[in-house]
Amino acid sequence: MSTILYYTASLKNELIKLKRTFAFWLTIISAVLFPILFIVAYIFERETLVPLAGINPWEKFMVTQIENSTPFFIPMFIVLITSLIMQIEHKSLGIKHLFALPVPKSSIYFGKLSIVILAIIVTYVYYYIAIILSGVLLGFVYPDLGFLNFPPEHLRYLKMLMTSFLASFGIIGIQFWLSFRFKNFVIPLGFGMFLAIIGIIVSQAPQLSIYFPYSFSVLSVSLGDKMPLIFGISSVTIFSIVCFLIISIFGYFNIKKLNIK
Amino acid sequence: MNQLVVETKNLNFSYSKNKKDIEDLELKVPKGSIYGFLGPNGSGKSTTIRLILGLLKKNSGTVSLFGELFSGQSRLKVLNKVGALIENPSLYEHLNAIDNLKIAANYRQNIPSNRIYEVLEIVNLTKAKNKRIKEYSLGMKQRLGLAISLLSNPELIILDEPTNGLDPKGIIEMRTLIKDLNKRLGTTIFISSHLLSEIEKTCTHVGIIRNGKMLYQDTVASLKESKGTNIKFEIEVDTPIKGLSVLKNLKMENISLLDDLLQIEVKNKNEITDVIDVLRAERIKIYQVSIKNNLEELFLSLTEN
Repeated sequence: MSTILYYTASLKNELIKLKRTFAFWLTIISAVLFPILFIVAYIFERETLVPLAGINPWEKFMVTQIENSTPFFIPMFIVLITSLIMQIEHKSLGIKHLFALPVPKSSIYFGKLSIVILAIIVTYVYYYIAIILSGVLLGFVYPDLGFLNFPPEHLRYLKMLMTSFLASFGIIGIQFWLSFRFKNFVIPLGFGMFLAIIGIIVSQAPQLSIYFPYSFSVLSVSLGDKMPLIFGISSVTIFSIVCFLIISIFGYFNIKKLNIK
Repeated sequence: MNQLVVETKNLNFSYSKNKKDIEDLELKVPKGSIYGFLGPNGSGKSTTIRLILGLLKKNSGTVSLFGELFSGQSRLKVLNKVGALIENPSLYEHLNAIDNLKIAANYRQNIPSNRIYEVLEIVNLTKAKNKRIKEYSLGMKQRLGLAISLLSNPELIILDEPTNGLDPKGIIEMRTLIKDLNKRLGTTIFISSHLLSEIEKTCTHVGIIRNGKMLYQDTVASLKESKGTNIKFEIEVDTPIKGLSVLKNLKMENISLLDDLLQIEVKNKNEITDVIDVLRAERIKIYQVSIKNNLEELFLSLTEN
């Protein structure tokens, strides 16, 4: 049987396992959290937020929202969602069962990793839909805010989210391996939360933190035009993807050799 | 007939450096047998099973399944013929039985969907198939775990303490099921247990392990024979003291009184009738005569130093 068949079977199973779990709901809750906060803020601060004539209100609405929520929130979210998805397996004592099945261990490791990445992508998609809908809703209720008079620049905002997503790849690799490796969820959760906070603090010193994956999410926004480029691509994006690849491959070989007690 | 389904040679393993958890273990499970792997708690039964399935990395020695050395290359091929239930079954508690079986079937592939309903019927869980595992009792979980290991019609089923948490009715059902599978499909079954009575009633072969070392390995029949030819039995009578003195006059050896029951050891079954005749001649009332299980003592003498 080919590797592809094993991998798709593994993906299919991971989706079944997500049914009725908190991990599944967390993707939705996280996506609507900030749009709801922004609706409330726009309702209370409406007077000051009415745009001048001819100005597209979407620009301010989208950019402040994305720049203020994603850099800090995404690392925390990744720490939480990877731990939660792996806990489904640990709680059911599943790994000893999976590794005794006639299935390559790689299909299990990378199948699960793919589902974690998919859950994060889905959250981004929900999030984008939720911000657009919240803007449209505000436009309907308060026409003076002008949301219905201008179209949002989708491409620009999607690019911002894409940059944020790619900058988070490194920590997806690290957190996933930790969550797979340690049954006790306090280890990946505590470690991840601690480093995410450190990442925010040290991002004040970009010369060093540009090598620290937990800072990438903040740096991808805070550095703006000052971001060093490698072959014309943001260095944070490159470092993040390299970190992801190295840790994922190392993680797989580590898990493969592990004694399952 | 003498083909071995599981064979280990000089198997060694330790969790930590200063203690050997499995020492030079030579396991031989013949094809078509029901092999009882017996030992007290913590003697290395589960560790051995994990070594057989490749979940633990052995320090030295070999494991062969179906005559093939277990290695990275042969792993998938060999595991394809094995169904295993290791300690507590691995079940997704937030899903129902059907989903749990579906997951196992997807992983194994080539399993027709009606097989899921078949195995549910076999383990008697058809009525509870849509219930979430959260609401299952321990015994039901154990049965669902067994159903999962049956899915692929494996040639070898490995069950680690399968009767743990089952009620007496469940234990009897499990026993019948195991014997039936073995008889009907010729499935080789490897069961670990710390209960001698369980192994004695179900198994054809037995291996006794203590502190990671194999103490005894043979058929159950020869285990029974190995403990001398003497039969021990006990008799409940209305006047045990009188009974004792009557039997003492008979010049029989090994007669004693324990909890008001006469304990007697004889060389063959005919002598039991003789003892009863003597007691009845003295008008002593006999309420029950029962042969004592000497395997129990054998097990204790083997496993306790």
